[in-house]
Amino acid sequence: MVTTTSRTRPAAGAGRPLSPGSIVQSALVALFVVFMVVFILGPLLWLGVRAFAGTWTFPNLLPDDWTLRWWQVVISDHALGVAVQNSLFFAPLTVLVSAIICLPAAYAFARFDFPGRRFFLISLFATNAFPKMGLFVTLAALFYALNLMNSVLGILVVHVLGTVVFMTWIPAAAFSAVPRNLEEAARDAGASKLRVFASVTLPMALPGIIVAAVMSFLASFDEAQGTYLVGAPDFMTMPTQMYSLVLNYPTQVAAVFSILLAIPSVALMLAAHKHILGGQLAEGFQIK
Amino acid sequence: MTIHEPLTEQPASTTGPGAEAGGGLNIRGLHKILGGRTIIDNLDLAVNEGELVSLLGPSGCGKTTTLRMIAGFLEPDSGSIEVEGQEVSHLGAENRPSAMVFQNYALWPHMTVARNIGFPLKLRKMSKVEIKDRVEAVLELVSLLHHKDSKPARISGGEQQRVALARALVQEPKLLLLDEPLSNLDAKLRVKVREDIRKIQQELGITTVIVTHDQEEAMSMSDRIAVMNAGRIEQYSTPAALYARPETEFVATFIGSMNRVEGSLNNGLITAGPDILGIRPEDVILHDVPFDGAIPATVERVVPRGHFQEVYLHRPDARLRSFVTGEFMEPGQQTFAEIRKAMTFRDGRLVAEAGAAR
Amino acid sequence: MLAFGFSIGLTGGLNHTIATIAQNVHEADAWWGTLAAYQEMFTNKRFLGDLVVTVIVTLVSTLTVLFLALGIGLYLKLKGGRMARLLSGLAIVPLFIPVVIASWAILTFYSGTGFLRSAFALFGLDFPVWAFTMVTVIIGSVWTSLPFAVLMISSGLQSVPKAMIEAARDAGAGSLRTIVSVIVPMAAVPIIIATTFTAIGIVGSFTVPYFTGPNSPNMLGVDMSNYFSSFNQPQQSAVMAFTVFLIASGIAALYVWANFRSAKEQGKA
Repeated sequence: MVTTTSRTRPAAGAGRPLSPGSIVQSALVALFVVFMVVFILGPLLWLGVRAFAGTWTFPNLLPDDWTLRWWQVVISDHALGVAVQNSLFFAPLTVLVSAIICLPAAYAFARFDFPGRRFFLISLFATNAFPKMGLFVTLAALFYALNLMNSVLGILVVHVLGTVVFMTWIPAAAFSAVPRNLEEAARDAGASKLRVFASVTLPMALPGIIVAAVMSFLASFDEAQGTYLVGAPDFMTMPTQMYSLVLNYPTQVAAVFSILLAIPSVALMLAAHKHILGGQLAEGFQIK
Repeated sequence: MTIHEPLTEQPASTTGPGAEAGGGLNIRGLHKILGGRTIIDNLDLAVNEGELVSLLGPSGCGKTTTLRMIAGFLEPDSGSIEVEGQEVSHLGAENRPSAMVFQNYALWPHMTVARNIGFPLKLRKMSKVEIKDRVEAVLELVSLLHHKDSKPARISGGEQQRVALARALVQEPKLLLLDEPLSNLDAKLRVKVREDIRKIQQELGITTVIVTHDQEEAMSMSDRIAVMNAGRIEQYSTPAALYARPETEFVATFIGSMNRVEGSLNNGLITAGPDILGIRPEDVILHDVPFDGAIPATVERVVPRGHFQEVYLHRPDARLRSFVTGEFMEPGQQTFAEIRKAMTFRDGRLVAEAGAAR
Repeated sequence: MLAFGFSIGLTGGLNHTIATIAQNVHEADAWWGTLAAYQEMFTNKRFLGDLVVTVIVTLVSTLTVLFLALGIGLYLKLKGGRMARLLSGLAIVPLFIPVVIASWAILTFYSGTGFLRSAFALFGLDFPVWAFTMVTVIIGSVWTSLPFAVLMISSGLQSVPKAMIEAARDAGAGSLRTIVSVIVPMAAVPIIIATTFTAIGIVGSFTVPYFTGPNSPNMLGVDMSNYFSSFNQPQQSAVMAFTVFLIASGIAALYVWANFRSAKEQGKA
């Protein structure tokens, strides 16, 4: 720090000359960023390179030769194709079913203060607190009794259960964030209740609902434990196929498959990232 | 033509560098550019010890920026800030001898009233007993002792305001800064709180700077007012002088109400000319019967303002507004309007202040 | 309507303790008394070992996540700028990657022929193999939990009004003091929520320990699945599920308390 006379550095946090302390500080920050880059991106890059690798000798940092062979293997493999199909079938269906069940509930939580409202919200949280694996194990036992093992319905129930928290909380927060007086203004202008919901409430809550849908889609797309338990070996989705791939195929095949599996996630997240980073997700996890 | 004597006890012009030394606050050559725009333009300001000064101006005039630079939240590009003779501009806010009352009070919601007020003392490594004594003393001063253990969210806006004031006062600052302290209070409370603040300030004799956009607030509390516009001080003088003798057209329009007419005043009649005439509505006097210097006028509109009426007049030479007390006027009514006093501005600056003939 | 969906889950769970005793359909070894299964499991060395591992992994990972997320969030709040945005952007990346892939990627990264060992070997150094140890489980847990914690905590920190921080500085508080006495307490609720969700997610996790962890001892999530499918002992599996659930509910109580606290504060505001 220095006296202020005749200083013309631009604003925005600058304006302080470099002192030994601030150099050390910048160096520490830079070190931390490098650490984070290696920690977060390292594994992904390592995996990405592998998908195009021929042979790879330890300890070289790059493969010995490059090839697209593994992509061919994956694309021509029938079982893997079926897994892709199954995944693309279950994920949108899950989102749809989950939305039909959860959105009205989310609206009710946001707008009506019915007895036991908070109890329900917290119970919902309990399903989330219950370890997924434990939930599936108990579910599987129930499914044996109900004859739902290895059935589409069984898998669907498992997937929908995994999305309930997203599909309820995030839209509920979004609904309650719509100012009531905007709805009242629409009523005043002569709109019916349904019309108000369709033209005012829903569009304003849409970002939250989109985030919820994306998170649900990914949760379903990502779901492996329960699907494996309930659906294998009749219904293999992409993530469950990953489990056997890792054990039975060369690592390069798994790498290729990983990239394929990551494409929808990355695409969807990029499409919705503005809302997710904009606090819709964070807002949803605070019970009001 | 008569030139009125300024009501100030000192030169009414912007106080130049070195005008006062020693106590109070002394700002010289303060300059700040933000995002390529000059926010504060080479500003000088001197506040005497124990004086209460308002920075008054429309939004965007740089008054808050100035206050934030005094408090240490913003670094000036150049210029010096002295508090009681000590240069503070190189210090961070935490090391300055000033204390601030924030616009939204900025009371920490997770601390009780007493802990909010005690926090600055705790940072000064004061003993618990001493903190307790001083917190209670200052709470007594703002008469809030009974809310000692309440959380800020549980008390009313006016009470929160007083807690914020107490938190600043407990630091025994050499300089008290208030950022729009009354803007979140309702009209009635505002009058009471501003009197409370003024009373406490005078009792303790703290040098104080208040930022406000409310001229009534500034007029009623301040020893002196600095009217700011576009990063500069337009005029720095006592409230009375500011109203009676605005130095610029901007100050004249901003403080109080004014009829702004192009032209000049000759024998009570406005004639065309390059200057701007500023006529206070209370200086437009209405007569029922012809009067020397009064000109026939028609009442166009009447707006009741409680204890007076604002009357819109059509005179052959100009449209004027007048403040009238007494009996009600009617639109269409014929009257005689006399301009008793007018200010003449040329290039925005006051060049003459004239009473009408006689 | 929705409560129905939930109740399937929960009553399914609750019924199960009772249900398994009665309808131990496909079991060769039968268990009679209600607590017998618990007693058996809690004297089982393997289970106890796994329980300890689970608790340790959860604690270490959660604390690491909390530390990283707070660091990034505070840096973003107080300094801002390109570096801060880069950091928070990086921390969000795992949200885009399915857990299965992440686990596997992390496994290969830290494996015997992985990047770290390769890089160190180039300098003639021998880096330990972390794959199939608890170290990668912790790394994987931190990796996958980081985005949510960062989103939650930085959004909480961002909503602390600037004036509150300035008021603390005005009162004479330095940076550290401002963080400890004002910023963190004011963002307490989102921080607690982030912590509980992270901990709950990790305590019951399956994919990460299944891929990257050792065969034994491993976390209870993996154990549960082993007991259920491989060892065909659903009841033991259920016992584990409930043990994990108990731990998770303990953590969850904190979450509920935090939410009530925030609701109370807002209600009075």
